[in-house]
Amino acid sequence: MIKFIEAVFENLNGWGLTALTLILGVAEFSLGLYGKKWNTNEKLLDIVCYTLPKLVITPVITYFGLKFLPFALPNAKNIFDWVPFIWGALIIAIYDDLTQYWYHRLHHEIPWLWRFHRTHHSAPYMGMAMASRQNIIYTLFFSQTYLTTILVYLGLGYPALFVKGLKSLITKLAHSSIKWDKPFYEIRWLHPVAWVLERTISTPATHHAHHADTFDDGVGHYKGNFGNMFFLWDITFGTALISRQYPASYGIKSYKEEEWYAQFLWPILKSKKEGSELSLNGPEVEEEEPVAENEYRSALVG
Amino acid sequence: MEHHIKQRILKNALLSLFIYALPVILMFISFYLSGEKPWLKKDPNAKPKTTKQYKY
Repeated sequence: MIKFIEAVFENLNGWGLTALTLILGVAEFSLGLYGKKWNTNEKLLDIVCYTLPKLVITPVITYFGLKFLPFALPNAKNIFDWVPFIWGALIIAIYDDLTQYWYHRLHHEIPWLWRFHRTHHSAPYMGMAMASRQNIIYTLFFSQTYLTTILVYLGLGYPALFVKGLKSLITKLAHSSIKWDKPFYEIRWLHPVAWVLERTISTPATHHAHHADTFDDGVGHYKGNFGNMFFLWDITFGTALISRQYPASYGIKSYKEEEWYAQFLWPILKSKKEGSELSLNGPEVEEEEPVAENEYRSALVG
Repeated sequence: MEHHIKQRILKNALLSLFIYALPVILMFISFYLSGEKPWLKKDPNAKPKTTKQYKY
């Protein structure tokens, strides 16, 4: 049985997630869930963001794991391989996902970091097409990747296999435009399950709210719901909004449909769109409309 | 950055340090209660249980 589960996760991390992304993406597209918003510029950006980083990031992480760590920590290889599986999995899950929570949150809360993460939020739709859509710098400095590589080097490689598979599955499904969590809110006897589920992991409802282009309508919440695998972090730190509803529209108000290459490679390449946050001398963060702050805060969970 | 956001980040960062330490502390408490010392069983010649993807 253990061998079977191990094989499932090995295949999931190998080709399974890519296949799942493709199948879900085709299903979303066939169901018309991207509407007419998936134009050539968006398509190019999504495809480039999905494929090119793999050619850049994989060699960097491989170098980090195979060359840099043995040089920097020569006697530390596998020193923690005695850690029991269940504890190793818990440590990896918390360290990886909490670090990603902070990496993500700081890109929203520190103004000069926003433009490195803006590409992920500019998509006016949800789905597999945009799930990997990120600026190259954001991807390159994905802090939890390096932390997890260190933990794997120290001997937690086996539990990491399972955590990585599970995490990728949860985050992909949270980005999907197929609202698989809806039955949990609509079927009465499933409500207790929904209550636990939506507070534990990211779901389409909570993560779609993070991708909404509004944040003061009781549904959209792009200034919170930062969790990737675990939603527990948002509950713990008071950045959660649970509404069990889905936003009417996605993206960012300041979106000027900037060129795909500028969104992917900013600040190396800039946008030619006048007034864009990604243009030369463009604003760090475009001015927002004032918010009914008290009303907004009272809706927060945690 | 707005002052209340800065304060919230600092407060939450401190809480995060505790959360990072928590699984390690709980693991050693469980070892203490069960009397287990798995680090003593470590065979220096044994190959770690890894998969091909995570082997360094």
